[in-house]
Amino acid sequence: MARIHINHVRKSFGHVQVLNDFDLEIEDGEFVVLVGPSGCGKSTMLKILAGLEPASAGTIHIGERDVTDLAPGDRDIAMVFQNYALYPHLTVAQNMGFGLKMRGMSRSDIARRVEVASQTLGIEHLLERRPRELSGGQRQRVALGRAIVREPQAFLMDEPLSNLDAKLRVHMRAEISALHQRLGVTTVYVTHDQIEAMTMANRIVIMRDGSIQQIADPDTMFSRPKNLFVAGFIGSPGMNFMRAPLRIEAGTVMLDLFSQKVSLLIAPAAVSHLAGQEVIVGLRPEHLGAASENTTNVQFETRTRLVESLGGDKYVFVDVPPANRMLREAAQTPAITANTAQRVTTGAEEQRRGDSIIARLINPGRLAAGATIRLEFDPRHLHVFDPHSELTIA
Amino acid sequence: MKVNTRSLLWIYAVVVPLCALLIFPIYWLFNTAISAPDQLRQLPPSFWPDAPRWEVFATVLRERDIVRWLGNSTLVALGSVALSMSVSVLAGYSLSRFRVRGAGALGMFILTAKMLPATLLVIPLFGIFRTFDLIGSLWSVILAHATLIIPFSTWMLKGYFDTIPRELEQAAMVDGCSPIGAMVRVVLPVATPGLAATALYGFVLSWSDYAYARTFLTSAQDNWTANLGLTTMKGDYYTNWGDISAAAILITLPIVVIYLFLERYLVGGLTAGAEK
Amino acid sequence: MFDLARPSRRHWLGYLLLAPAVLLVAALIVYPLFVSADLSFQNVGIARLDQPRKAFTTNNYAHLFSSPEFWMAAWVTLKLVVVVTGCCFVLGLGTALLVNQKFRGRSVARLLVALPWAVPEVVATVIFVWLFDSSAGLVNWLLIKVGLVDQMINWLSSTSGAFAAVTTTMVWKGYPFVSIMALAGLQSIPDDFYAAAKVDGASAWQRLLYITLPSLKPVIGVTLVLVMLWVFRDFSIIYVLTGGGPLKATQTLAIMTYEQAFGFFKMGYASAVGIVTLVICVLASMAMMRRAPDRF
Repeated sequence: MARIHINHVRKSFGHVQVLNDFDLEIEDGEFVVLVGPSGCGKSTMLKILAGLEPASAGTIHIGERDVTDLAPGDRDIAMVFQNYALYPHLTVAQNMGFGLKMRGMSRSDIARRVEVASQTLGIEHLLERRPRELSGGQRQRVALGRAIVREPQAFLMDEPLSNLDAKLRVHMRAEISALHQRLGVTTVYVTHDQIEAMTMANRIVIMRDGSIQQIADPDTMFSRPKNLFVAGFIGSPGMNFMRAPLRIEAGTVMLDLFSQKVSLLIAPAAVSHLAGQEVIVGLRPEHLGAASENTTNVQFETRTRLVESLGGDKYVFVDVPPANRMLREAAQTPAITANTAQRVTTGAEEQRRGDSIIARLINPGRLAAGATIRLEFDPRHLHVFDPHSELTIA
Repeated sequence: MKVNTRSLLWIYAVVVPLCALLIFPIYWLFNTAISAPDQLRQLPPSFWPDAPRWEVFATVLRERDIVRWLGNSTLVALGSVALSMSVSVLAGYSLSRFRVRGAGALGMFILTAKMLPATLLVIPLFGIFRTFDLIGSLWSVILAHATLIIPFSTWMLKGYFDTIPRELEQAAMVDGCSPIGAMVRVVLPVATPGLAATALYGFVLSWSDYAYARTFLTSAQDNWTANLGLTTMKGDYYTNWGDISAAAILITLPIVVIYLFLERYLVGGLTAGAEK
Repeated sequence: MFDLARPSRRHWLGYLLLAPAVLLVAALIVYPLFVSADLSFQNVGIARLDQPRKAFTTNNYAHLFSSPEFWMAAWVTLKLVVVVTGCCFVLGLGTALLVNQKFRGRSVARLLVALPWAVPEVVATVIFVWLFDSSAGLVNWLLIKVGLVDQMINWLSSTSGAFAAVTTTMVWKGYPFVSIMALAGLQSIPDDFYAAAKVDGASAWQRLLYITLPSLKPVIGVTLVLVMLWVFRDFSIIYVLTGGGPLKATQTLAIMTYEQAFGFFKMGYASAVGIVTLVICVLASMAMMRRAPDRF
């Protein structure tokens, strides 16, 4: 168990810069998740941590040792791969003991450790089988077992659950978290699934195009995303995005939203350069509710387009007034570039949200598409983004 | 594709005679071997001898140096395969795993090497081997056969290694193996079918060669390989067809046996390499 | 000692592993090729490396391009390549299509159909020399029996007869390769294609024409080139069967190269012929490759 220091690591393949100045300090026993879309560099960073790829610049320390140019076998780390990477020609027991055998451990010691690890994972009855005879979940457990027996300073996991079906994934998520609770080993976990990140991490490192966007614990990342990308990436279904003109009237910052003036608790000085322009506004589906008697909330009337019912929860797609829509057919206002609007609204789910937003209502009773509905939200839950830099203002 | 009964009958009607026709020459060889020489001179040819001469195989083994020929062919095949494999396993692995500058050039060259007529290469090799006094020695053919095998084996092996996920070596390296250790302990065992197929293909290539054997070994009768020996049994004026057929069968047997038992691997080997 | 396990040094391993092959190929193929080219520009009888080089001359090439024997050999080679490749294709593709059907005994059929591949060329030659024997060979007897000819053909002594004998032997030896490759290609065509076609109402013939053959194109392309190269280069079959005769009727460029080198001991001239053969081979392959660039 150890701390990991990643200092200004950069990586390029030829002329292509894959990692830009990656800087991270991981505490002893922490479970850190690197998350981001495909190609963001998270797997590359993990491979550099493991020693499977050389860094173009920067240093890595595990414990107090500089491991930057050490062979993977010398770093005292264990890795779990997306495709399990179990040795097909060895039995489960031999697979698990392979690393220990390479290190010259005595046969009895190896047997003992393998025994303990297999019991922890519930695979003792599989020890003499070969990988091809096992199911996906069993193989994943063997891969975990192979990592555990090494008792390394850190675990590195590269999308270990991606190849499992949905139900199994949920189950294994819990198992890995429980394992981490029990063993307390520093873990660096890579995934593209933000749900895994949110449920398992002590801290999340969200990446995009080779750069770190934000480092925070899950709750902070959910409620205080640093920029548009993070806000849209975390949460399922993702955050709703709309446009609204920003005005400063009588010392208060106001947005024209849903044909109403909504006042924000932001200091006018912070946004004076945006007065009169359109900003991007974000609101999570969870923060939209059915209209109640609470008059501090902003209420508005709109038409439902589509209702997706999950039984207790319902995702209701409702109209957005044209003035607030992200995507426009007519000429775009220069403040929000077509790119930004496009990026926020592309994606299968977001396609529909060019002109509609999703509200997550809990037990709202029967709802019909096309019906009028009254919704409300607390303006304090609004996230406001600078249309140029995409950074969060509030 | 599912086939109904009428199509099935059609298929059998074509396949059975076709197979018979295609295999016929081999059957005829056998028939000729066990026929008495006088019977062979007669027309119409008999499709099965009246008095099968089963002892012809023993006779031919005794009168001709067939055992020595087979032994030489085996030695040469084993030698050239060993030489070629040891070199192309490493090269195939390198081409599969590493982005080596000049790999493209090597690939192109290997392709060209496959187009090389043996009749061209045999001339300079003759000159080279003559200079080193290797003419007549089995080493000359071992080296020459390596030139036949290496272009194919490198290509085939690269194809096989491409099908083995890199994560296996990565896991082995994290487990503490050196890169070469990972290759030897993990990748090679997993690639065994591919290695076997490639080695067998190389064996067949070596066994089938005639051009190099004739050029380099004719002067050393003790070192004749099977193909070379067989051709000496064909006289310019008179040939004992029974004997030479029996010898031919004995020479073909090892290859056919390999083929029958390992057809699946051989075919896989040919196509895995070819599909690139 | 260099620790090749370090991430920064690991790519050296790639070069290291490649080195033995590169060295061996350089010594056994590249260097001899240069020697060959060198010889072709000299008036050399028997090649020997440790003697002083002879004078540079282009006589060999001049002689070669003006000699009727060379052009005859080129023509024979072309004829052989076209005929043998064509027949191998028809036979190989046909057998592959047949064996691809599901029927009992299919694996046996597959085994038998490809069996000639395992037979060494020299043995195949022995078989066919005997089959084509002028006095007691089976072929002659069959042809007379069936009534196609009225007397024994002296196959190996007549120019067209010898060509036919060589062609037959080569086709017998060559078609299994096409069959094996085509079969592998056929088996990689997803059943869904055929299912979709059947739903669309395509007949068996249409399915063959519009699904099977187009899907096989890449495999056919590769195999075509390989078979042509094989015929081009072949030595064993022709040399043992006819020696290139009678009257050079079956002398391909490869045979001519060999004859000049080891029959007449004019290795300089022979090397020139060989180099020209190689160049033709390479150019032809490149031309074919251009038509199917994705396969290479």
